[in-house]
Amino acid sequence: MGFISDSLREALALILAGDREVFTAVLTSLDVAVWSVIFASIGGVPVGIAVALGKFPMMGAIRVLLNSLMAMPTVVVGLVVYGFLSRMGPFGSLGLLFTPQAIIIGETVLAMPVVANYTVAAIQGADERILPTALTLGASRFQSLCQLTREVRFGVVAAIIAGFGRVIAEVGVAMMLGGNIRFFTRTMTTAIALETSKGEFAFGLALGVILMSVSLAVNIFLTLAQESHSA
Amino acid sequence: MSIAKYRLSSIQAMHGKTVSLTIDELSIAAGELHLLAGSNGSGKSTLLGILAFLNKPQQGTVYFDGTPVSWEPKECAALRRRVTLLHQTPYLFSGTVAANVSFGLVARGVGKESAQSAVRESLERVGLEGFELRKARQLSGGESRRVALARALACKSEALLLDEPFANVDRASAALLESVVASLVAGGMTVVISSHDELLGAKLGARVIRLEDGKLDGTPGPSPSEEFPRQTGRENAVS
Repeated sequence: MGFISDSLREALALILAGDREVFTAVLTSLDVAVWSVIFASIGGVPVGIAVALGKFPMMGAIRVLLNSLMAMPTVVVGLVVYGFLSRMGPFGSLGLLFTPQAIIIGETVLAMPVVANYTVAAIQGADERILPTALTLGASRFQSLCQLTREVRFGVVAAIIAGFGRVIAEVGVAMMLGGNIRFFTRTMTTAIALETSKGEFAFGLALGVILMSVSLAVNIFLTLAQESHSA
Repeated sequence: MSIAKYRLSSIQAMHGKTVSLTIDELSIAAGELHLLAGSNGSGKSTLLGILAFLNKPQQGTVYFDGTPVSWEPKECAALRRRVTLLHQTPYLFSGTVAANVSFGLVARGVGKESAQSAVRESLERVGLEGFELRKARQLSGGESRRVALARALACKSEALLLDEPFANVDRASAALLESVVASLVAGGMTVVISSHDELLGAKLGARVIRLEDGKLDGTPGPSPSEEFPRQTGRENAVS
């Protein structure tokens, strides 16, 4: 028990001292997570709307595929994207492997099915009068879809936050595509894995505390948004 | 002779594999009040959906102002800006009453000042002056229906379609609605009201179109103003 409490004390000291290594990992994590969630939302929200409202063939198969992609192991995503970005791969000449951009690409692939699936659920749960009401008031199809999204914005925000939760906590993609390079591609999760394996438990714990804090902050934001929405 | 706002020819609409509406020929005169009368499931809402250009019939042709409707998405979007349907249980968007009432105007690209003035005017018309900043979701059922009516009025469409507007409304709201409808028709708007109560036709001075099991029951009757020029209820309805 003394080991845990001593490590926790040491971890808090590292955080309060503003340890460069800790904060670089935190900033890298937030940077790649935010960008990948932005890209995943740009792709995932429209895909979710199309799947929820679309009446084209193979819709059932697309939904099954989206559900399966949600549960895809992070290392598999890392492996596939690695294949594309490695020197021998089709995009090898771009020199993206082991850069934060490579992590962003991998995490975008990881988050997009999550954002899309949650958006499908939000749209399918929406009041079915929204679209005809908007249309009969003279809105174009695009304006009506924007209004529908606005009406279920809380669900869409939840979808985006779920995507953020998926990427901020993942380690496989960041490790395989980022390479865990100190002060460059090292994220909180890859740093925790590395430092703990080296016996630097306090350092790993410090990052763990920050990771939990970020997760908590995201949940507080979601709860506050929900309360203001229902008010 | 009245000019037809709508003419429907050989229309057939289906819900799944069931035929829900069959109309050989129907004209709806411009600038007049029509009552679609029929029991539940008679096809009133289906017909209103077609007249609102929301639902394309599986067969037949709809003429609007004498022009056949092609049901191309662009054409439907343009036509929907000329016709407004008020659903039986209207949906109010989240946000303020003003945002709801101005929705159709914003969609049409109307400027902010014109929209504000139209919102004020529409709310006054339904007796909800000063409601602009109220949250739409916090209104009572009756107030919500009036806001939905104001939102439809603000669009200043050529035709207004009202799906069962008198169902579950109190006497004061019904009187207000009658007065609004009468003033719209007096102003030259084509108004179509659906109701299961056929007696409303005589009360409102409307031309009655009877629907039964998805089919027209006889030909549309003359408006009471033509049939009984001295007994029309329209004058009574004007406030």
